[in-house]
Amino acid sequence: MSSAAAVAGEHAGHGGGHAHVLPPDELFGEATPGKLGMWIFLLSDAFSFGGLLLAYGILRGGAQIWHHVKDQAGWTMETEPTLGINFTAGLTFLLICSSVTMVMAVASSAEKNRKATIVWLALTALGGALFLGGQYKEYFGLFGSEGLVKEGLVFGHSAYASTFYVTTSFHGAHVLTGTIYILVTLFRTMMGKTDANEIEILGLFWHFVDLVWILVFTFIYLV
Amino acid sequence: MSDGTSHSHSRKQYWIIFGLLFVLTVAEVALAQTAMAKSLLVGGLVALALAKATLVALFFMHLKTEMKALKLTVFLPFIFPALYAFFLIWEAGVRHA
Repeated sequence: MSSAAAVAGEHAGHGGGHAHVLPPDELFGEATPGKLGMWIFLLSDAFSFGGLLLAYGILRGGAQIWHHVKDQAGWTMETEPTLGINFTAGLTFLLICSSVTMVMAVASSAEKNRKATIVWLALTALGGALFLGGQYKEYFGLFGSEGLVKEGLVFGHSAYASTFYVTTSFHGAHVLTGTIYILVTLFRTMMGKTDANEIEILGLFWHFVDLVWILVFTFIYLV
Repeated sequence: MSDGTSHSHSRKQYWIIFGLLFVLTVAEVALAQTAMAKSLLVGGLVALALAKATLVALFFMHLKTEMKALKLTVFLPFIFPALYAFFLIWEAGVRHA
């Protein structure tokens, strides 16, 4: 066992929210075990999204008709709505904003400014909640709008609909998980139980959620 | 560092990246609504999306200031999905053409 691993083992089980700071490693520098663990998880998660986007690309690449829309002769038998690019671009901007608030939370926690960390985390959680509200509106309608389901985009009716719902809802599940993760960390920060390492690891997850959405938005909505 | 992180935090840099991400998103949406050849459109959109994703990974996730081993650990595995994507989607298109 390396000396670094020995230190990690020695510190394992100690609570209090303090990072187990290991001696600098030749290859990974000062990265903590928690941070490396999060990176490994994010890589595996990235491949899950990669699989979904790959399936989407193969199905779309091989489809004679991908999106059933009205033609010059009128409506086709199974007309499906067009995805709203402008509204989703707004959601994309919202996630980018929440990435900025998260990186500010990470910076504040590194500077040991707990009050600022709490404010930035709360804003990030708000961004996540608003994104989820936006996704709900897109699917089911809200404030008078109908939503894609009522407009005829139904899971199981076409590869277009199914790949859309599987990919975007899988991402939505990540936003939900991330928002809960932020709220839990926010309360723990209010109680003084977190440190900069913990906020940085949370930040990695949240930025990943933003990064994946950038790709989902491009491939599902724009291409 | 005693706080368990190893990055310097430049708020100015974060706001610049935010501005770039905003501009690139607007460019993407504008590009998607132009009537150009499909291959050019897809190439442009994919390039813009990859540029945005790279900015997030390098600056917000701080990969830019990580050790080389961590950078390689994160970036190298994506060679294979990229190859799968290129060949399998191309093959599906050719088979059904």
